[in-house]
Amino acid sequence: MSASKYTDNSAVKRFKAAPARPPLKQNRGVFHILRQRCFNNIGNSVLTLLILLGGFYLIKGMLDWAVINAVFVADSRRQCMEISPDGACWAGIISWFNGLIYGRYPIEEQWRVNAGFMIAVAWLLPLMSKGLPLRNFVLLSWIGLFPFLGGYLFLGGQFGQELGLLHGLMTSLALAYFVLNYLNWGLHKLGKQGLHEVFVPVLSQWIQRRVHLTSLLLVWGALAIAIAFGLTQVSLPSVAIERWGGLFLTFIIAGFAITMAIPVGVVLALGRRSKLPVIHWLCLVTIELVRSVPLITVLFMAVTLLPIFLPADVEFNKLAQVLVAVCIFAGAYMAENIRGGLQAIPAGQYEAAKTLGFGYWHTMLLVILPQALRMMIPNIMTSFISLLKDTTLVSIIGLFDIMLMARNIANDKDWIGLHTEPLVMISILFFVICYGMSQYSLNLEKRLKVDR
Amino acid sequence: MATLNTNAALAKEEVKAIEIQQLNKWYGDHHVLKDVTLDIYEGEIMVVCGPSGSGKSTLIRSLNHLEEYQEGQVNVFGQTLARDRQSDQLIHNTMGMVFQNFNLFPHLTVLENCTLGLTWLRKLPENEANRTAMKLLDRVGIAHLAERFPGQLSGGQQQRVAISRSLAMEPKIMLFDEPTSALDPEMVKEVLDVMIDLAKTGMTMVCVTHEMQFARQVADRVVFMADGEVVEVGPPEQVLVNPEWDRTREFLQHVL
Ligand SMILES: Nc1ncnc2c1ncn2[C@@H]1O[C@H](COP(=O)(O)OP(=O)(O)OP(=O)(O)O)[C@@H](O)[C@H]1O
Ligand SMILES: [Mg+2]
Repeated sequence: MSASKYTDNSAVKRFKAAPARPPLKQNRGVFHILRQRCFNNIGNSVLTLLILLGGFYLIKGMLDWAVINAVFVADSRRQCMEISPDGACWAGIISWFNGLIYGRYPIEEQWRVNAGFMIAVAWLLPLMSKGLPLRNFVLLSWIGLFPFLGGYLFLGGQFGQELGLLHGLMTSLALAYFVLNYLNWGLHKLGKQGLHEVFVPVLSQWIQRRVHLTSLLLVWGALAIAIAFGLTQVSLPSVAIERWGGLFLTFIIAGFAITMAIPVGVVLALGRRSKLPVIHWLCLVTIELVRSVPLITVLFMAVTLLPIFLPADVEFNKLAQVLVAVCIFAGAYMAENIRGGLQAIPAGQYEAAKTLGFGYWHTMLLVILPQALRMMIPNIMTSFISLLKDTTLVSIIGLFDIMLMARNIANDKDWIGLHTEPLVMISILFFVICYGMSQYSLNLEKRLKVDR
Repeated sequence: MATLNTNAALAKEEVKAIEIQQLNKWYGDHHVLKDVTLDIYEGEIMVVCGPSGSGKSTLIRSLNHLEEYQEGQVNVFGQTLARDRQSDQLIHNTMGMVFQNFNLFPHLTVLENCTLGLTWLRKLPENEANRTAMKLLDRVGIAHLAERFPGQLSGGQQQRVAISRSLAMEPKIMLFDEPTSALDPEMVKEVLDVMIDLAKTGMTMVCVTHEMQFARQVADRVVFMADGEVVEVGPPEQVLVNPEWDRTREFLQHVL
């Protein structure tokens, strides 16, 4: 292998790389592309023109109905018909708009719904800073704590009476974490250490291990106690769950399903691969059973069967039953997505993790699941979008979600028979949301691609 | 040719790092390890060679329990391995492994690949883990690639990351299963150089490899395996230059 293999060194030619040339210019103009793709021969030109013509009439028809001939101000459907018989009657939607969004939630309390959703979004904003300390806890706390805070805002009630002790305490913890998180985010942005870090030097005189965690818990706890005391002083009027509805309720159910789908799905998928027969079969049967029946059946089962299985004195509201049902349904589908992802992970990844000393849970959480989930982002997002749309089925068991509110419009004596416009409205709403989700998933996929 | 052979096993006090005794393994009816008995001394560089399918991978993967074996026993620093937590702990504390296909974690950066074990298992604070990992990456000459993802590196660079990742856990014994077989010829040298450096530090190494040049230069002893059996063991100048068995000669004619 050494150079001595070539004895005659004098005749060696020296290799020199050829200089690089710039790439050929391509004509990228719109007209050029149009001519090349759409008008490149007579047949294609005719086809293009026909499609354009057809599209024009379709769009014109829709515009005529939805905008040009539409009525935006009227008191009743009859008035709409008198003004313009072949246009959309948006006046009905406008007068019912509040109902479509909030259901029958009392108008003067609707700010609580808005506040709840704004906090839900705001909670996640700190995720945007990459180097934030405790960044992992942002999402975890959102999943674990926000539901209590949301529940309190939406339900209302006085701490200690309608608002149970446990729920009240969890709400205080949630609010405290939210505040602390924002404080620490702000301090981090300013280049300072987090609030709880201030106490670390003091604490480290007393304890040696987990000083940071202890300090965080102490500050968080103190804040929560202060907030709990504050909660006892205020009282939000109760709003019964029966009055929740519209897009608000759809978001609650879909949001719950979407958040719980991955944790439940992961548990079911891992359980299905478990070597313990009991766990394996339990998960397998759950997944297969739930996947082979329609969501409506699962919903009906939850509403009618759940109360039978549980002790009689456990009081149930329909929403909780629906949430449980949707959660299991979403989890079972997600489990199959995740299983697909898990199967795509090569055995070498498990072996590498094992030789480094990672046990089962570390391997799963740090190595396998992050890859499996990223690989399945398109499928997961598809499931989320179907979930969002499927939740409109809950109107069948009498929850006043956006679909049932839409049907209510047609039953209103002023707007009797107004079916089309609410459905068009809902379609537009869902399209905007679902399209947004799918675009976000594409973006996420690009950002988190495993094989960069 | 300069030789690195130090015969560490002879020079040092002879501490047995690994003792393999009467190891037998079957895949179904297929007997893939037949009464393998072998001692590996602390600080020794042991090269395992042999034709494809002779059981080399199976043997070293049995040492760190990536494979099960049906008969025989393995002692690591005098302790007999069993299928229990204590043995797993011993394996993790003493052995690292480098694979043919690198098996880096593709969703983590090079640096994160190396710090993952330090932060989650050794519970080191982040900056300390980073410092340790950077030192190791520097040692294998890829500190400047620390923020890249494995998919953005060449094979040789990936294998060097894999070596640093194993070294981060401070193993006493390193197992290499054909670390250069998946590499383009031009990259083989950079990985072998890292291994040679490692050998100089006194690490105990068991390397399955077809790089006979490396074996001759670095190995204290060479093991030749065929059909699940250890055919010969000895210093490279004996096994590779003057083998006793016809099977060894036949093999060497093919690879050299
Ligand atoms: N999972 C398995 N199931 C059944 N037989 C196997 C399995 N893995 C390996 N074998 C068999 O065991 C024998 C030894 O395989 P091993 O991978 O240890 O060989 P090797 O010496 O490492 O070969 P190579 O040089 O090709 O890597 C081979 O005959 C192989 O066919
Ligand atoms: Mg092999």
